[in-house]
Order: sequence, then structure tokens, then C-alpha cells
Amino acid sequence: MSETTFMGVERAKIDWKPTIDYTSCDFCMECVNFCPHKVFEVRETEVIKLIIRNPNNCVVFCRACSKICGPDALSFPDKNATTQRIKEIRKEESNA
Amino acid sequence: MLENHAILPCNGLDKNAGVISREIAIKLCENANNKIICPVYYRVAEGKYNKIAGEHSLLVIDGCQTRCASKLAAEKNLKVSRRVTISEEAKSHNIELKSNLRLLENENTLIEIILNGLNSPEDKVALSSDETTVFNKFDYETYQHGKFLFRVPANPEIYFNENDCWAYVIGTRARIGVTDFVQQNLSDILYFTPPEIGTEIDQFGEAGEIESSKSVFELVSPVSGKVISINEALIGKPELLNENPYELGWVAEIELTNFEDDKELLIGFDKYFEIMKKKVEDINV
Ligand code: SF4
Ligand code: SF4
Repeated sequence: MSETTFMGVERAKIDWKPTIDYTSCDFCMECVNFCPHKVFEVRETEVIKLIIRNPNNCVVFCRACSKICGPDALSFPDKNATTQRIKEIRKEESNA
Repeated sequence: MLENHAILPCNGLDKNAGVISREIAIKLCENANNKIICPVYYRVAEGKYNKIAGEHSLLVIDGCQTRCASKLAAEKNLKVSRRVTISEEAKSHNIELKSNLRLLENENTLIEIILNGLNSPEDKVALSSDETTVFNKFDYETYQHGKFLFRVPANPEIYFNENDCWAYVIGTRARIGVTDFVQQNLSDILYFTPPEIGTEIDQFGEAGEIESSKSVFELVSPVSGKVISINEALIGKPELLNENPYELGWVAEIELTNFEDDKELLIGFDKYFEIMKKKVEDINV
């Protein structure tokens, strides 16, 4: 994936990805089929059949997969905290 | 009071939300001049229902996000004038939908709320938009990729975020929407869910949803503020977003609360145009 920065900040420094609540996920794989960014990985033979493989491929501030998840098993970090963090990193880097 | 409507409900008999939509449809027809379109019978009695749909405004009641009723309306080329989704209403009123197929207290409360909403006069947008604010001067630059054309406005008063949404800022007000990148990616747009008038949105907060048969896109608001109006035209004609997501397909107007801060995380035309071109090349729309 080529999107390595977001708002001038290295993508890896920004915590933004879905978190799967395994107590409600029913492994329907709707999210996997929906997201084009290869964030999820299906593991057919495991008990936990779905994991977040590439968190940094997730588009910062996108929450689209949570909309199509029937059991509402996907959650995201707090948007305001993430916005603040991005601003801080930008400040630190411009001072550096 | 809702009158002279054709009502196309979800009739999912094996789902709680379906049973609720069905009940609402029946209730709407009990004391008013509304007509039900049965989604099952529609399959074999097309003429009958096409006539009803042609003579009335159409209200579609979807049970859940699968939106079978809306899909049926799209398939039959019906023009939708209002739309309700039970699961969304339940969420916004903090009512948890269970799996029972009989109407209990929970369901009846929700039905009551939805009926009240449908029967009260439609929230008329306080057209506070003083006539002097005109958001219609878009100076496009274009980028062609294969058969796809991407227009991006280059006006200095138009800002973007990296989530492909724009904000056209005049004074303390902004109009927001999505760029051609979003509409080309989604292809035929079938549904538009506007943000609610009066709600306060944070920067990068959700400002409505756009859905095609291919995908869903949640508008990520470039600016923070209060929603003061929405583009009503999109509710009946979401395809305007495909035609032109700027002058015609703008989404909402926001009374800005903190634009100076918001600006820090926004980009102008030059940067956005570069980012968008790169995305187009990467994903090969
Ligand atoms: S859509 Fe939701 S329930 Fe289905 S696999 Fe993804 S996280 Fe699990
Ligand atoms: S939030 Fe968006 S980009 Fe991230 S995993 Fe979900 S659909 Fe993919």
C-alpha cells in the first residue's frame, strides 16, 4: 500500500484501525469482503478465523466496515484523541 | 399526518425489524389515505403496484441495513420521496432490537416514535442560509484516467481532507460534500442518508452516508460545527451525486465553530489533487 503518510504524519505513528470484539463477531466475513485495503486476514483453519493483519492499511478516520457489521463487533479509537495526537506529532516534527 | 403515500415496507417476517416495519405500514394505512405495496406480491403483480407507486409519493421502510425494500424500489425504478430504516431509528432512540417476532413493549414504543415522526410535518429546514452566501463558483481542474473523469475545484476557499471530502468556506459557514473520487469509486449511488439538522459535528466526525450497490461511504466532515441545512434534493435523487457532487450533490451546510483549528488538518487544491491522482492510479477505479 502506498499510503504511508496521513496529513504529513507517518501512518505507522497513527493508531487507527478496527478492533474486533470476538465475543460478538460471528465470522460472517462481510467486513473482509467489503474493505478493499487488505486490513483483515481470514484464517480458515484457526478457531479465531479473522484477525487484523495490516492495521496501517486502514484509512485514518474511515469507519465504513463497522456499518456493515451486523453484530456491531467492530470498534475504532476515539476520533478526537486521534486528531489531537496527529496535531501533536505534527508540532513535534515541525519543531524538530 | 402522512397522506397520499404509497408505502413499501420491509416485510421480513423472520426478523424483529421486519415485523416492526410491517406494523408501521399497516398503522399508516389505517386512518389515512395511504396504500401498502406488498414486496412479495409485487413480484407477481407488478402492474397493480406500479400504478399505485406512480400515483403517490413513495415512503420506503427498510428494516435493517440490507435495505431490501430500497433495493426493490431501485430495481423497479421507483422514485422514493421518504425513507426510514428501523434499525437506525432504534439506534438513535436507544432502543435495542431483539429477536422476538411478536410486538412487545420495546417494539411498540419504537413504532409510536417512528409514527409520530412520520406524521408530524417534515422538519422544514430553517432556511437561515442568507441569500448572500452563494456556494456555486466551482473552478474545476480535471484529471482523466481511462474513461473516468475527475473534477476537483481549485478555488482557494475550498478545502479538502484526505478522506476525499471538501468544504467550501465563506465567512462562518461552509458547504460540505464529497469529491468526484468518491462518486466514481462508488459508481451508481442509490441511497443518501443526510446528517441530522441541528447536530454538532466534530472535525472528522460522520456527516451522512452514501451508498451504492457496490459500497458504503461515510462522509468524514472536514470541518467542525453545527449542521444548519442539508441538500434536500439528494433524498429523492441521490444520483445527483454521480452527476456532480459539487454544485448539485453538495451534502450539508455547517455553521463553523472552530475553523481556525480545523484548518491545520486540511489541505488545499494542490495537495489534494496530487493525493487523489495517486489514489486513482493505485486502485485503478
Ligand atoms: S462483519 Fe462483523 S461479524 Fe462479520 S466477520 Fe466482520 S467483524 Fe465479524
Ligand atoms: S475502517 Fe475502512 S479502511 Fe479501515 S478496515 Fe474498515 S473499511 Fe477498511
